Amino acid sequence: MANSDNAFQQMFDMWQQGQEAYLKAQKEAADEFSRNFSDATAANAFNFGPDATKSWQGFVNSWAPAWNPSAMMANGSVDNLFAQGKDALHGMLDPANWMNQAPEQLRNILNSVAQGPQFADLATPQIDAAEAWRESLDYQKAAMDFAKIMQDAWGRAFKRYSESYTLEDLQSGEVKEALDAWLKAANEELLETQRSPEFMDAQRRLMRAGVEIKARQRETAESWCENWQMPTRTEVDDVAKIVHELRREVRKLKREVAALKVAKES
Amino acid sequence: MIPRKRNSDGSLMDSNDLAGEAWASAWSQMVDAGMKAVRSSEVLSGQRQAEVEIAESPVDLVFQIDKVRMLKYRPLAKKKPNVPPVLICYGLFGRQTMIDLQEDRSLVRNLLADGIEVYVVDWGTPTRADQYLSMDDYIDLYLGSCVEELVALNGGKPVTIFGICEGGTFAAALAASRPELFAGLALAITPIDFRGEPDKFWQGEGFLNSWIQNLSQDDVDLIIDTYGMLPGALTGAIFSSLTPMASLTKYNIGLANMDGDEAAILNFLRMEKWIADRPDHPGEAARQWLNELYRENQLVEGKFQLAGETVDLHNISCPVLNIYALQDHIIPVSCSKALSKFVKPDLYQEIGFPGGHVGVFVSRKAQGVVAGGLSDWIKSTQKPDRKKSVKSAKKK
Repeated sequence: MANSDNAFQQMFDMWQQGQEAYLKAQKEAADEFSRNFSDATAANAFNFGPDATKSWQGFVNSWAPAWNPSAMMANGSVDNLFAQGKDALHGMLDPANWMNQAPEQLRNILNSVAQGPQFADLATPQIDAAEAWRESLDYQKAAMDFAKIMQDAWGRAFKRYSESYTLEDLQSGEVKEALDAWLKAANEELLETQRSPEFMDAQRRLMRAGVEIKARQRETAESWCENWQMPTRTEVDDVAKIVHELRREVRKLKREVAALKVAKES
Repeated sequence: MIPRKRNSDGSLMDSNDLAGEAWASAWSQMVDAGMKAVRSSEVLSGQRQAEVEIAESPVDLVFQIDKVRMLKYRPLAKKKPNVPPVLICYGLFGRQTMIDLQEDRSLVRNLLADGIEVYVVDWGTPTRADQYLSMDDYIDLYLGSCVEELVALNGGKPVTIFGICEGGTFAAALAASRPELFAGLALAITPIDFRGEPDKFWQGEGFLNSWIQNLSQDDVDLIIDTYGMLPGALTGAIFSSLTPMASLTKYNIGLANMDGDEAAILNFLRMEKWIADRPDHPGEAARQWLNELYRENQLVEGKFQLAGETVDLHNISCPVLNIYALQDHIIPVSCSKALSKFVKPDLYQEIGFPGGHVGVFVSRKAQGVVAGGLSDWIKSTQKPDRKKSVKSAKKK
C-alpha cells in the first residue's frame, strides 16, 4: 500500500482511528447502560443479543404486563396461516395480512411506554427507543396504506383500459394504438385517484410519517454531535437566526439614518 | 373499437389470417420502436452534461444584496424603443434560466432583439442559513431594492416588472404596495387567487391547490421546522406527480419517440437540466407561501401582510398584462385571471396561451405569442406620461 506520506493513507488512518474511538465510546456507553438498567452483559447489550432483548421485554412488561411479543409476532404471519392449513389463500391475497407489518398491539405497547411518566434519571433511552420504533412502524403502515391505494388505482386503470381497448382491438396488432390507449387510461385513472380524499390523506400521512422519522434522525445526530463536542444543527440554526435578525436591524437603522440625512439636507 | 378487417371482396377476414397479419404488424412495429430507441440511445450516449448548455445570453452584474443579484442582459439590437427597462422576476421554486433556455427559444433574446433593456433577478442558491428569510425579505427588501436600483438607473423614472409564477405574485404584491415604482406590471402563469374555481377545473388542473389545502398548518410547520427549508426534491416530486404517466414514460417511451433526432434530444436534455436544478425554498417564506397564500388565500382576501402593511391589490395603478396557460396543470387559469377583479379594466390585458405551464416559455409557439405579445404590450402601453419621476425611489 502507499507510504505514510500518502494523503489518502493519512485520511484513511484518521478515519480508522475515529471509527475505533467511536466504537470504544459506544462500548463504554453500553457498559454503563447495562450496569444501570439491566442484568445483561455489556457485550450482549451492545450486540442486542438475547439478554438485551430479555431486558427490553422486561422493561416493556413493567408497563404492559399482558404483552407477549412472541405470540403477537406469530399471530398475523402468513407462515402461521399456512401452518393452520386453512385460509392460506386468503392469507396470501388479503393485503391486511402481508402489508400490515405494524400490528396495532405493538403500537399500543410502544405508546404506553413512550407516553408513560418520565423520570429525570431513569429509562430515557428506552422511552426514546419506543418512540423511534413507533415512528418507524407508523411510517411502514403509512407506506403500506399508500401502496394499497396505488395498487387499487393500477387495478382500476387496467380495468378501464380493458373496457376502452378490447381484446379484438388488441388482435389488430396495432401496438402504438394499444400503448397510447393504455397510457391514456392509466393517466386518467391516476389523476382521478390523486383527487380522491383517500389518496390525499394517505399521501399526507406518509409524508408526515417520513418527516417525523427525519426529525428523529436529527435528534439522534444532535446527540452524537453533543457527545463529540461538535455544534448541533439547532445551535447552527440559532446562529443563523441571530445573524438574520441583526441584518434586519442594521438595514432598518441604515434606512433611518439615510432618511434623517435627507431630511437634514432639505 | 377498431373495425375488423375485410378481404378485397368485402367478406370478413379469416381469423387465422387476421392473427397472422396482426402478429406480423405488431412485430414490425415493435422492431421499429426498438430501432427508434436505439437511435435515440446512440445520440444520448454521445452527449455530455457539460455540453448541454442553458441560459447562454451574456449578463453583467449591476446590483447585489446578500445572495440576490440583479443582472443586466447585454443588448442585441442597436435601435431602442422609448420604453422603460424591464425587470424579470422568477420565483424561488426554480431558476430564472427558464427564460433563456436556448438561443432559438428565449424570451430574453426576443425582448433584446426588439431593443428592450432587460434585467433579471437571480435569487442565488438559498441554504439553511437563509431559512429565516420571509416574504418581507424577498418581496419588500430584495425585490424592492432591485426595483429601487433600476428606477435610479432609469433616471428616477418608473420601470416595468415581468413576474413569473411565484415571482409574479411577488411582483403583484410589490406593485400594490409601492405603485409609484412601476410603469407596467406583466405577469405570467401567476397565482393570485390560490383557490381559483375548482368547479371549473379540467381533469389534471388544480391538483396542487387541492393537495396543499389538504395539509394542515401543523403539517406545513412540521416540514419546515424539520428541514429548515422546503426541499427542492419534495417540490420536484410533487410537480412530477401532476402529470403521472408523462413523468413515468419520459425516459423510455418519450426518448424512443424522438427517434434519434439530435435537436429534439438536446431540447429535452436542456429541459432536464433546468428541472434538475431545483433549489430548496427558504423555510419561512415557504411557510407563508403554503399557509398564508395557498391554504388561507390571504392575498385576494385582503389579509396578506408585507412589511407590516396589508397588501391591497386594488392599489395597482399601472397597465397590467396577465399571461396564463390554458393547459397549465400547476397554476389553474382561474387562479391567474382573478387579478382582473382588482385592476381597472382600461389598464388590464390578458393573453391566454394555448399550452402548459412551462410551454409558455420553451415552446416554439410561445416565442411569437408570449414574447411577441409582451414586447408589443410594452411598446403600446408604456406611454411617456407614465414616466414622470419617482420623487424618491428609496423606501422611507
